[in-house]
Amino acid sequence: MSGVTKVTTGLTGLAVSKNPHHTLGILYSKILRTLQKMPQDAAYRKHTEEIISERANVLKANQDVEVIEKQIGCGQIEEIIVQAENELILARKMLNWRPWEPLMKQPPAEQWTWPPAQKPKN
Amino acid sequence: MSMLRRLFPVVVRSTSLLNPLKTNSQRAFATEVTEAPNETRPTFRKIDQVSVGQLKDFGRYCAECLPKYIQKVQVTAGDELELLIVPEGVLPVLQFLKDHHNCQFSNLVDIAGMDVPSRECRFEVIYNILSLRFNARIRVKTYTDELTPIESCNDIYKAANWYEREIWDMYGVFFSNHPDLRRILTDYGFEGHPFRKDFPLSGYVEVRYDDEKKRVVVEPLELAQEFRRFELSAPWEQFPNFRNANPAQEEVKTEKEKK
Repeated sequence: MSGVTKVTTGLTGLAVSKNPHHTLGILYSKILRTLQKMPQDAAYRKHTEEIISERANVLKANQDVEVIEKQIGCGQIEEIIVQAENELILARKMLNWRPWEPLMKQPPAEQWTWPPAQKPKN
Repeated sequence: MSMLRRLFPVVVRSTSLLNPLKTNSQRAFATEVTEAPNETRPTFRKIDQVSVGQLKDFGRYCAECLPKYIQKVQVTAGDELELLIVPEGVLPVLQFLKDHHNCQFSNLVDIAGMDVPSRECRFEVIYNILSLRFNARIRVKTYTDELTPIESCNDIYKAANWYEREIWDMYGVFFSNHPDLRRILTDYGFEGHPFRKDFPLSGYVEVRYDDEKKRVVVEPLELAQEFRRFELSAPWEQFPNFRNANPAQEEVKTEKEKK
């Protein structure tokens, strides 16, 4: 499809990106920088870094948007940009939430049993 | 790389990086498929054991990423994944499920409430969410009592606005930071929360048109019959075929429990 510009994504509210390659590269580097601030052994950091670096490698290796879309395989390039934006927001919020810490509190006894336990008769 | 993607192959991946989860999951499938017998009765819903194994893997993945908030992961009704979380973790867990690349649960289908008076924290709040990208559903459950507020997830899912009002109206669970927490289903001036188990089936008040006053009046309820204790237990067994039925839920062992 060289030479033909994409007119629409076919998705309501999602405009065609002008310079997707550039945008995506910036977003991925921002995410990776945010992830750097998390502890090394945080599972969220490990898994997200893996996803992002894989996608960033695909992005680096190819210039053609269609090839990138096909290799990442998660929708059109505009959708991939939206996903990256979401991940960036999430990663920044995760820095405050610190979800890699141990469990906040145990549930009350019999909270998750089903059928529910009866109240002790006294 | 993405568990949900392997579960629902929306697209074919050409690049596959090494993934420790993949080997784990494949081993898990191998055991689980042999363990559970395939359903052969024609009238029963068949449960795909492979996709259940993948759901369990996804549950483990969530529990690994958010160990601070997830208390328990379980599979109910055969193939429905549930995350049971601490009440403070509603926002982080929902945000993670919505925005993470491997989750993308962008639609809030429903928020439900549940009242179990025998529990210390009697109310459960249940979020049903849907990922269109991976064609998957997940349920997030948390708990609270009459006084403790739950954080409103209106900032994450716009759909939560009315659902949370409904829970507030029916159960009296308070959602903090909700922009507009009013009654939604009950009548003007209604008092009480009708879905609580201690709310009487007949209600507290009755409404009738008064001919003298020429208006509708609300009066305390008067029942013609004295309160009668209905005997609801039958002498016979109702569902003998289900005497040895499978348990309602199956817990998914997470990493921290294994250690």
